[in-house]
Amino acid sequence: MIQLEGVEKVYRTDRIETIALTNINLNVRAGEFISIMGPSGSGKSTLLNVIGLLDVPTGGKVALNQKPITAYTDKYLAQMRNEELGFIFQTFHLINDLSVVDNVEIPLLYRKGLSSADRRKRALEALEKVGLQSRVYHFPGQLSGGQQQRVAIARAIVGNPKILLADEPTGNLDSQMGDEIMEVLQSLNRDHQTTVVMVTHDPRQAEKTERIVRLFDGRQVS
Amino acid sequence: MFRHLCKLVWNRKRVNFLITLEIFISFLVVFGVIVFAVYYLDNYRHPLGFNYENVWAVQVGIEKKSDDSDRQRLLDTTKQMLATLKDFGEIEHVAAVWGAPYSRGNWQSGNTIKGRNVRFWGNFMTDEAKDVFGINIVRGRWFGKEDDGANYNPIILNQKTARDIFGDEDPLGKNPEERFDPDPDGPSPSANREPKKPERVIGIIDDFRKNGEFAELFGYQIFRNTLTMPDGREPRAFVMKVRPGTTAEFEEKLVKRMQAIAKDWSFEVKTIAQMRSENHTSYYVPIAAFGLVAGFLMLMVALGLTGVLWQSVTQRTKEIGLRRAKGATATRIYKQILGELLVITTFGLLIGVLVVIQFPLLDFLGFATKQVYLYSMLLSLALIYLLTIACGLYPSRLATKVQPAEALHYE
Repeated sequence: MIQLEGVEKVYRTDRIETIALTNINLNVRAGEFISIMGPSGSGKSTLLNVIGLLDVPTGGKVALNQKPITAYTDKYLAQMRNEELGFIFQTFHLINDLSVVDNVEIPLLYRKGLSSADRRKRALEALEKVGLQSRVYHFPGQLSGGQQQRVAIARAIVGNPKILLADEPTGNLDSQMGDEIMEVLQSLNRDHQTTVVMVTHDPRQAEKTERIVRLFDGRQVS
Repeated sequence: MFRHLCKLVWNRKRVNFLITLEIFISFLVVFGVIVFAVYYLDNYRHPLGFNYENVWAVQVGIEKKSDDSDRQRLLDTTKQMLATLKDFGEIEHVAAVWGAPYSRGNWQSGNTIKGRNVRFWGNFMTDEAKDVFGINIVRGRWFGKEDDGANYNPIILNQKTARDIFGDEDPLGKNPEERFDPDPDGPSPSANREPKKPERVIGIIDDFRKNGEFAELFGYQIFRNTLTMPDGREPRAFVMKVRPGTTAEFEEKLVKRMQAIAKDWSFEVKTIAQMRSENHTSYYVPIAAFGLVAGFLMLMVALGLTGVLWQSVTQRTKEIGLRRAKGATATRIYKQILGELLVITTFGLLIGVLVVIQFPLLDFLGFATKQVYLYSMLLSLALIYLLTIACGLYPSRLATKVQPAEALHYE
């Protein structure tokens, strides 16, 4: 599902060159749930951004769902992100001025051929999957952290992506809420065969995944 | 997407309120200036009704007695003056008029017809005025010898007055006074003292827009000045069509001769073209002043809007990053920021239009016709939309530069 071959990422400014990733080779099978661990600055988020096509690698090859990424054009990347990938962030990134259901509809706004009724139907289904059907017209500020992260998950899965990328999804939650979110991710992986790549600092949550990829100083150590 | 934009703008109404208010006020100010400009332009495109090329006006200052006892003497002097002026080789035609084109002062009259107000400006002219000004007769005729000793007072109307008084009827040969509502106070004392001859419409002219191209389209009546008692009037100006190529040196010769005939009169010579230019300046100056104020206001609005949008884009960096991560292209982000601005602008303009369409109902800016109102409104809307789009271009472009990976971690 995800293939990375010799991926490198170097950030260059006029004075400094920072190597964020060196020779990353990673193969994630369809329906696999893996976690990426490592200390701060080890390149976890950079790796997730490269997989999520939010960042362009300096070298190496990336393929998603058997589609090699050869042209990093804005339009192509946007379409890939919209159709193949779902993102979950540590700080949820919900738009506070939109209701829960309007937040969940966002990815569908960028998809062609969907009527507003279709968008609404799909958003409500996604919210039902994460158990938030009773909070549809609430605003993010009226929800707990766990509920907000569930909204973010609903938003990530509303477009039925094959890959879910989660950047420390439990990082801002207490352990009980963190466990609830992990259960939601596990059920999505188990019941819908969604491939999940999760960056985490929490070994307890990482152990719940099928495989742990460890990074240190931009290198893959296991 | 449009619904999404409207929802977003509406849910951020507190933040957007000030921008909406700014746009609303700008629209009102711009409309105020544009309605005057369009009104003047609309007036300008209508026919002037006379030709001012090679026409000179000598405005006269006459000291006359308050009891009118010297009127015969003044009329005689005027006749002598006209006869003398005709002898100049430089002058093709000359006439005496109550008000020269573009001169200050108007003689306004009017009445009601079935309760409807009919107002018009009037002028007294001697017979040769038609040739001096090249006045175009649409129907009927100009004053002539056939009116000498007639049992009526001949009058000439412009088309507007003819329409206002007689509607679709043929006004020729008719007396306008018969159409007016009776005076509730009864006949005036002067009417009892001096029974006057009935009026008769003998001709219709295109127009005679004495106050110039920019002035209101108004009714006009021209009365014949025979320079004889009891109806003759001393003129306030002599107007003359001079031969092409007549130089300013003629002015001195002219005034000298006129002064010789009437030592106690004062004379001021100007070409009508010169008076026209002065008249136009009196319109340009206030419009330019208001335009300048409106321009500064627009500049302030433009700077304010650009600043607010710029700040808004910066504050929404994370949101923009999120939208990029969820599949929005840079172009979609660009369109979204501009789209939101257009929705906010539309809100402000809708309120503005609602206010502005009350003006005709309240008879505020009542001089403007429906057409002028409509054009002014459309022009103002277009101008404000153009301004806001121009202000939104740079911040929107800035939003497209946001890199999703960086934006999502932006603090």
